[in-house]
Amino acid sequence: MKPAAFDYSAPESIAEALDLLAEHGSGAKVLAGGQSLVPMLNFRLARPAHLIDVNGVDSLSYISANGTLRIGSMTRLTALGESGDVAGAHPIIPKAVAHIGHRAIRNRGTIGGSLAHNDPAAELPAVLMALDAEVTARSADGERVVGMQDLIEDRLFETTLGDTELLTEIRIPAAAASSTSGFQEFARRHGDFALAGVAAVITTDGSTITQAALGAFGGTHATRLPTAEAALLGAETGDAAFAAAGAGAAADFPATSDVHGTAEYRSHLINVLTVRALKEAAGNSGGGNG
Amino acid sequence: MTTTQETRWIGVSAPRREDAPLIRGRGRYIADIEPAGTVHMAILRSPYAHARINGIDTAAAEALDGVHCVLTAADLEGIGDFPTIWRLPGQKESNTPALAPGKARYVGEPVAAVVADSRYMAEDALDLLDVDYEILDHVVDVEAALADGAPVINEDLGDNTIIEYTFPGINALGVAGDIEGAFEEADEIVSGRFKVGRYSGVALETRGLVADWDDLRQTLTLHSGSQVASLLRTELAAALGIPETSVRILTPNIGGAFGNQWDRYPEDILVSLASMKLGRPVKWIEDRREALQATVHGREQLQEWQLAASSDGTVLGLKGRVLSDQGAHLHSVGIGPAWVTGAAAVNQYKIANYHCDVVGVATNKTPNSTFRGFGGPEAMFGIERMMDKTARRLGIDPAELRRRNMIQADEFPYFSPGGAVYDSGNYPAALAKALEAVEYDKVREEQQSLRDQGVYRGIGIASYIHVSGFGPSAILGILDYYTGGYEGSTVKIDPHGRATLYTGMIPMGQGTETTLAQVAADHLEIDIANVRVVWGDTDQTPYTGFGSAGSRSNVAAVAVIKAIEQIKAKAVRIGAGLLEADPDDVAYADGRISVKGAEEMRSLTLADVAQQAYWAHKIPEGDQPTLEATYVYDPANFTTACGTHVAVVDVDIDTGKIDWVKYVVVDDAGTIINPLLVEGQIHGALSNGLGGAMLEEFVYDEETGQLLSSTLMDYLVPSFTDLPDFEIHHLVTPSPHTEGGFKGMGEAGCFPAAPALANAVADALSHLGVEVDQTPVTPSRLWSLIDQAGG
Ligand SMILES: Cc1cc2nc3c(=O)[nH]c(=O)nc-3n(C[C@H](O)[C@H](O)[C@H](O)COP(=O)(O)OP(=O)(O)OC[C@H]3O[C@@H](n4cnc5c(N)ncnc54)[C@H](O)[C@@H]3O)c2cc1C
Repeated sequence: MKPAAFDYSAPESIAEALDLLAEHGSGAKVLAGGQSLVPMLNFRLARPAHLIDVNGVDSLSYISANGTLRIGSMTRLTALGESGDVAGAHPIIPKAVAHIGHRAIRNRGTIGGSLAHNDPAAELPAVLMALDAEVTARSADGERVVGMQDLIEDRLFETTLGDTELLTEIRIPAAAASSTSGFQEFARRHGDFALAGVAAVITTDGSTITQAALGAFGGTHATRLPTAEAALLGAETGDAAFAAAGAGAAADFPATSDVHGTAEYRSHLINVLTVRALKEAAGNSGGGNG
Repeated sequence: MTTTQETRWIGVSAPRREDAPLIRGRGRYIADIEPAGTVHMAILRSPYAHARINGIDTAAAEALDGVHCVLTAADLEGIGDFPTIWRLPGQKESNTPALAPGKARYVGEPVAAVVADSRYMAEDALDLLDVDYEILDHVVDVEAALADGAPVINEDLGDNTIIEYTFPGINALGVAGDIEGAFEEADEIVSGRFKVGRYSGVALETRGLVADWDDLRQTLTLHSGSQVASLLRTELAAALGIPETSVRILTPNIGGAFGNQWDRYPEDILVSLASMKLGRPVKWIEDRREALQATVHGREQLQEWQLAASSDGTVLGLKGRVLSDQGAHLHSVGIGPAWVTGAAAVNQYKIANYHCDVVGVATNKTPNSTFRGFGGPEAMFGIERMMDKTARRLGIDPAELRRRNMIQADEFPYFSPGGAVYDSGNYPAALAKALEAVEYDKVREEQQSLRDQGVYRGIGIASYIHVSGFGPSAILGILDYYTGGYEGSTVKIDPHGRATLYTGMIPMGQGTETTLAQVAADHLEIDIANVRVVWGDTDQTPYTGFGSAGSRSNVAAVAVIKAIEQIKAKAVRIGAGLLEADPDDVAYADGRISVKGAEEMRSLTLADVAQQAYWAHKIPEGDQPTLEATYVYDPANFTTACGTHVAVVDVDIDTGKIDWVKYVVVDDAGTIINPLLVEGQIHGALSNGLGGAMLEEFVYDEETGQLLSSTLMDYLVPSFTDLPDFEIHHLVTPSPHTEGGFKGMGEAGCFPAAPALANAVADALSHLGVEVDQTPVTPSRLWSLIDQAGG
């Protein structure tokens, strides 16, 4: 379990990193926290000719809360989880981050790495989908802004980022004043990748649900749950609507079997977890998706 | 004069002397050993469950810069393999070859090895080896392997049945019980079919080896984490065709062994052979994927039991068939663990009529061999689930059913129809203590009221025996077990009166260094700081027939006691001369040699006598100079540790999640040498047992034969957040058959763990009639049982 040989560069600026990406293209890989890439290198599942280590690019590491929440792609998961600005704007994020691996992994792992790696069981792609986030992708040719849906596009372990693109920033729009959220996942041990999980953000005008955004993970890819969302929109909050959303979630969820559980079990789990997440959201009355 | 407090060490919670260097980063593991000039081995392993190897093109690998040699099966001409130690009559032998000869039989089987300047280069070279595989049909399920037309794993053996061994249930009078009669007479016949999952030790430290051949001195030094270095030395020399006197095995710190390191492995031969070829040190460190694929697995059995009971709960007979999934090759102990399952399944109960067929079955999987518990936990799963099923069928409380059938404290020695003679114990007392500790009646009442609130609480009892302290060598002979059951110990008192103790035991986490020092200090009645323990070097330490195991300190301790008895007797003889007294009037006490009745006046320290023993100016006639003794102790009988565990859990019927409420342990391992270490061993073994009950499993894909659990993301080891708080209580029934009364205790914690958990879960879901008959009890499996039951 030793990686194949590779060349290594450690740029100190975004421009330098982009030049290296332009030069090496598909032969290169960006090294962020390394929590996913290094195991893949060791298994020789990834064999980049060139590793571009962006840990020295300080300008990729920031959190700025001013209406839209802007997060630099190299922001460590620990910093993300502990940020007062993030918790204030979107309390669902620290809740989700607490479930990502263990402290040592979060100390190194980055938000950009988590999105670019796009593990179908990862928390953040689904949470950010539910929050209607966008990311900026930069290359030597310029910058584009991509919505989470378009970044993930039903893919697993890859995204629509181009070979020469660096994910630089995550942008999360401010939450509606009366939105609340719930986050539920089920893993066999705390810190493991989830068998299934749901991030739910709902907005009500007192008792009627006016907005519902549900992101699910643990299936074949991160996804929104449109049937569940439709079942909620316009409904009164409560057991009946939540049960309908749970059933809808099971219908939407791209469940799959592995050593940890059958697809049938996962479909059932997403139903249970959706109901629980919605109850949690309904019980959270803080507003601002608290 | 020393006080008694400083000279009595048995029963004291002495801190582990192993700990300071380990905790402070000065442990020395195989990975830390790298003699000058070391080169590194990597091993090409079969990616297929079953494939003919038509050829291996090594040219590109050999041409790679930094590569020193490539080994394939063709290079093993004249090299032997390791024999199976336990060769039951009728067991078809299929030793594990060092490199797959012509055919690979499981995913992970060694096919070729490369030695290069670095492990990185060696792995680059593996990529260049071109193996011409012809994929064959595979089979990874025991029943499928026994079916007509199944792919045959070892053609030489004809079919996949390695052995069918019958326990006829011989009673104390030497005759078989009347099993058919028992079933005819029964009011109820209860059946169970159990799948005991495949899992293993999965030590923190993977295996590793450094072989260093000195061609001028013709010596091979092998740094190895083996638990049984003497046997490895004997067998390795034979396999390599070199004199045993040329081989020295050095054992550094071990980061976990769990029985897996009792076995001899292909890599032992490969690194040694490569070092002999290259004339330089060769190092191999197993990576985690290799550890999961190629270190022996354990447990996996398919059991079918039938229990005959009368309506009052008396168990009249027990009949079973155990299919043991042995994997592709017989490893060091053959089908030994499955044999132990057959021998132990009657557990604590007086079951007059017993019959069990044990079938060893070959499959395209990693060899199933030595692993903590060695067939015992598997046996406990079957019988303890059967007791609960029977209790439910008869409407008798499961604790009461056990109580009614237990062997009583005055019925020892007890000749079990499984073949073992239980030395001692007090089973009903252990059960009673466990029930009291868990507040059984109260928990049962709460269970009722909680259920009305939608909380599904379950209580699971599991009692166990652990036959340990293997074993009288003569009995091992009768069992066709080709090694001895003894342990040797050499104790040397230096001229200053301090003791050095040489043992063949290896501290692998169980605290052997500390416990043996305690036994020596206690019997010499000196400060433990004055005892040094030397281990891990076959050039210095006594030959061990059986080697280190979690439950061997009891045998090794007696060897220490016996050697010290000889030392004390000699000290008394020398001391009597110096004190000008008759030896009969001189005694050894408190670390001093004194004239009886005149201890204050006419007394010498051990150091005074030792100094004289080395000066040797006045050695009594018939004695030799210096003060040392060796004793090789062959146990008179096995010892039988026992106890009862009670698990209390809540089951979330929506997700299949199991939450811990309480876990109570009552164990009886005879005299306790060190309560702190005993507690630690119970924690470790229980975690290991509950890991297999809930999380750990080697899963094979039926379609492809691939091992799916080949990373630690798929094979889940428990951490403390997954485990309950352990509440531990002890009973002490000293073994009457060993000096000191010690019994083995390093494994027992894992025996009742899985059935306690399974019984608790089934109890929680009794309203649905859910039976939990497969381990591990994963949330997915449990939910599907609940779902099928309409919950
Ligand atoms: C034991 C363990 C448990 C874990 N459990 C969880 C869990 O429960 N949930 C979870 O979500 N994750 C989990 N992870 C994964 C962890 O969160 C990873 O850190 C994360 O997914 C990847 O982030 P990274 O910064 O380490 O990226 P890296 O490993 O450095 O990179 C991952 C991939 O993303 C690419 N990449 C990284 N940054 C960029 C960028 N800015 N632009 C373009 N491409 C980029 C890399 O080229 C690579 O392909 C776990 C990891 C471990 C080791």
